[in-house]
Amino acid sequence: MGLTIRDLHIEYPGTLVFDALNLDVNEGETIAIETQVLDGGTSLLRGIGGFLSGVGGDVQLNGINLLTCDASERAALVGFVYEQQGLVSFYTTYENIVLPLQFHSGLSQDEIHERVHRECAALNVEEALFNLKPHQLNDVQIRLINLARALCVNPQLLLIDELEGGMSEEYLQATMARLQEKQQNSPMAIIITTSNEFVMQKADKVYSIANNDLVLEH
Amino acid sequence: MLVVEAFGRIPRNTLTFLMDIVGLISVALSASRHLRKSNRRKIFFTLFVRQLYNTGVRALFINGMIAIFVGTLLMARLFDYIPQQLLADQYGYLFVVIIFRELGPLISGIILIARSATAITFEIGYLRLRREFQVLNGLGINPVFLFLLPVFFAFPVSLFLMFLYFDFICVLSAYAMIWISDPGITFAVFVHSILQHITLNEVAVNAVKAILGGMLIGIISIYFGARASNSFEDVSEAISNSTTSQLMAFFLINVVLSLLAYTQ
Repeated sequence: MGLTIRDLHIEYPGTLVFDALNLDVNEGETIAIETQVLDGGTSLLRGIGGFLSGVGGDVQLNGINLLTCDASERAALVGFVYEQQGLVSFYTTYENIVLPLQFHSGLSQDEIHERVHRECAALNVEEALFNLKPHQLNDVQIRLINLARALCVNPQLLLIDELEGGMSEEYLQATMARLQEKQQNSPMAIIITTSNEFVMQKADKVYSIANNDLVLEH
Repeated sequence: MLVVEAFGRIPRNTLTFLMDIVGLISVALSASRHLRKSNRRKIFFTLFVRQLYNTGVRALFINGMIAIFVGTLLMARLFDYIPQQLLADQYGYLFVVIIFRELGPLISGIILIARSATAITFEIGYLRLRREFQVLNGLGINPVFLFLLPVFFAFPVSLFLMFLYFDFICVLSAYAMIWISDPGITFAVFVHSILQHITLNEVAVNAVKAILGGMLIGIISIYFGARASNSFEDVSEAISNSTTSQLMAFFLINVVLSLLAYTQ
């Protein structure tokens, strides 16, 4: 079981991005996709997650088709970490993190609170950030809040768009270590677009994008 | 041909706009099903209270100030134009006809449009520009639930409270003018003469004006805000179009309802 992608087709008006793309990602496996500027990495993640309309093909995550399942089901299965923004402006950091849990899960406030604090502590997200609004955070903090929000849901598939931007090497190492630890405790497939050597080293497989397809590098 | 096209565009655009608004109302009503779940109700209620505070409570000052001006001006003019003896018998009736039935709802609606509806249009336009609707879709949360529903329910409630508050302050300021001119008339007598002329009909018509008006003002704000897509100019244009449509719709509702309810 894991993620199985068959004949994925992503196309914008006048621009073919991916055609007949196939990919298998096992549970607990991390795939890095080496990306360049505007080569379709973000579109690929959004397409796999079922967040783009008009995507063709088949994306099965543990037997569930992500392209056709309903939004609530997808939200429980897939976590998405945006490279930029990704938070709701009028909510505080804490409210942003708890929003999907409050909306979709039947967890009590205490359970949600406990889970959020645990994930944030593991990612070195200080509680002092909790009451800040997104415009008061820097890009790295925003990405970490995105990541904390995604991890709190315990997704089976985590899609991360360029984690490393602006992040110190030390912080990046700690964050990748946390992702691997999380994977061991609750197996999930991770697909991460990156241009960072360290992230690629930590991945089980590395692909690059060429000719509207993925090419296995190592 | 171009002239025909130009003439045809106006009814076509109006019809499209009306259908979009009806569609948006049905979307809002459909999204209300989320409120059956207690966890979602909690999220909604927080946003609803926030909206009520921003729309109703924070408008108290401007609403009160305008009510003071209108109440004072109304009584001052009435004292100028109508013989005092005649006025003493009629001020309750005149107050209800002019303030309670017409000016209260109209001015409160204008304040709601100027203060809050423009802010909502901007907020929604800004969220659109930042692609935050997509973020919510990615989280499996319908943006309608988070952005539209609180406005859809809070605006009518706020508007009705604004009517009441406006009328109350108007009563006080009008009485202040009466007291200056004729200290013999007590506040209780003044209030009693007003209440004599307020029937269930007046209250019901005002409630309908608040519900329909508030709902439409809110929906129109969201509608135009959500049409902003690419540039900041889209948001400015959305605010301008939204305000125009809201004023038209709100005045139309007021005039039609008043004509239907109060024409003898």
